[in-house]
Amino acid sequence: MNKKTKYLFLGLILFLTVFTVISEVSATCNIIVITDPTGQDPNGVAAGSMSFAKNMFQSSFLMSKDKQFAVLSGGEGNSSDRVQAIGQCVAALQNGASPSTAASVASSFNGIRLVVGGPNVGAAIGGSFDAYVVEEQDNGEITVTPYSSTSGGLAVLQEGHRGAIIHLRNSEGNPKMGTADSVRYQTAVNMGKMIRDGYPATRIVGEGMREVATDSGEQYGGGAVNLVSRVTTGDMFTPTEMNSTGYPMSENYTKSCPTCGWSVGFPEADNYQVCPVDGSQLKTTNACDALINAITVTSNTTSVSVYGSDRAGLADTTEAIVQASVTKYGYNPDQIAGSINKGIHNGLIMGVNYVEPKDISVKENSRAVGVYYEPLADGRTSPPWNLPVNSFVLTIIGTIQTAIGIILILLVIFRSRLIKNFQDRK
Amino acid sequence: MFIKVRRDTLMILLLAFLLILCGRIITYVAYASSPEVDQGVPIAGIIVKGNDVVPIETIRENVQAAGFRENSYIDGDMLVTSKRTLPLSEAITNAEQFACKSTVPGTTLQPIAAADVSVDEKTGIVTVTVIEDFSTIPVSNTTSADNASYNGVNTAQFKETA
Repeated sequence: MNKKTKYLFLGLILFLTVFTVISEVSATCNIIVITDPTGQDPNGVAAGSMSFAKNMFQSSFLMSKDKQFAVLSGGEGNSSDRVQAIGQCVAALQNGASPSTAASVASSFNGIRLVVGGPNVGAAIGGSFDAYVVEEQDNGEITVTPYSSTSGGLAVLQEGHRGAIIHLRNSEGNPKMGTADSVRYQTAVNMGKMIRDGYPATRIVGEGMREVATDSGEQYGGGAVNLVSRVTTGDMFTPTEMNSTGYPMSENYTKSCPTCGWSVGFPEADNYQVCPVDGSQLKTTNACDALINAITVTSNTTSVSVYGSDRAGLADTTEAIVQASVTKYGYNPDQIAGSINKGIHNGLIMGVNYVEPKDISVKENSRAVGVYYEPLADGRTSPPWNLPVNSFVLTIIGTIQTAIGIILILLVIFRSRLIKNFQDRK
Repeated sequence: MFIKVRRDTLMILLLAFLLILCGRIITYVAYASSPEVDQGVPIAGIIVKGNDVVPIETIRENVQAAGFRENSYIDGDMLVTSKRTLPLSEAITNAEQFACKSTVPGTTLQPIAAADVSVDEKTGIVTVTVIEDFSTIPVSNTTSADNASYNGVNTAQFKETA
């Protein structure tokens, strides 16, 4: 078992057992944006959570893929209260409750906040919050209204209206304590402007989070979801260990090579100035840009599916390589297979055999590429070399050479004695 | 020099060193170019169906913990993992139980009510079908011992607060 799997198991055990001891969880920034209430635009509804506090796991930005709703949670209350609130809220939503009904579940818990929303249903915030509701009225005017409540409150973004809800409070210990009020207002106004200017919701959530992260210090991810296309940042920015903070959203996230798809995350990326594979200039991506890229579906995004191996990192690396290959050569299975094989040869992709063009399934219309890998047996990291000499012959030659070498050393050590013996006999 | 060494001795030692080095390199090349050993059907991957709020990765990790992970392979009706060899049917039962223990990340909520694991013994593909049900999670008024062990937490935490 390699080290990585070992850590994975440890993490798993933590997940299953230690979560019970979280004493306090508080997501202090929750944002939900609806720019297309009809759910037609693939980037029309998005939501995200961030905090200065610890333990910002995916439970602070849940998404239902089937029913298309998001549940953002947080608050200063007890964590088992929060867990109950989330459970009841999701159960209500799965039974078809409206966002306002589901969000008001939070009112029955002390200090808990729930933000619920989705395409076609609007959005609502309930429980304990300090929020602005940005809403486009029927006459096209965009209003920014403050709502505040210590418990049992409810604020609603009407169904069918474009708009946003932003909640922001400063966490305890944040060095930028006291900035929440002004940043909340500024961000709400800026989000309103972006809604007016027609930006997609995914972009607005990302830009909103950027502003909150830089100005108010509530910067640790967290993450975000795109409700229409059902994409989530997953564990991109969430903490890997209990009682630790996630990725700071105000900082750089990765450096990547635009030509071959090689990439490296910070802080290791500080050591790289050019791509070690082909020497081209690396592109630095800020965490908020990475978040926007991750949840935004664009016309040149290729969805890549990987089959045949679940090896850690394989799917991500393949996606980056296929993306780079498609931008360069278009949807050509031969070129994609060539790029992937180059990656396998360079050691970017490990543990799978070389692919052939027939292993690549390309659907240009839906911009989808499927890659079928063949995993290598015996824990090998790279495919067998193709040599003209039989490996059996090589094994024998190698062993004989080693043996002769060792015998020579022995002869040299006992050299004088051997020569003496020989001369004596004469 | 403390030890007197004749020059030709040095030459022979160097030659011996080179011979051993080349020998080892050739042996490695032989290993690297040898065709793969046939060791049954390797586990190719896990397909998760039916999950809604619980992320695929969480379920996948739990099923991998039951033995269906990289470098495990199916040999007849046995599953050989890096740790041990066990009957495939037992591994499937374990995987179903483990899948049911999947939580919403960051919480103790285990919304998976039932899981079905099937393994294709020819391709090595593991298919996990789960049923999520949030309404059956015992989040309030749970006083029975059963629910306490189900969540792995003290029942006192789950008393009604409303």
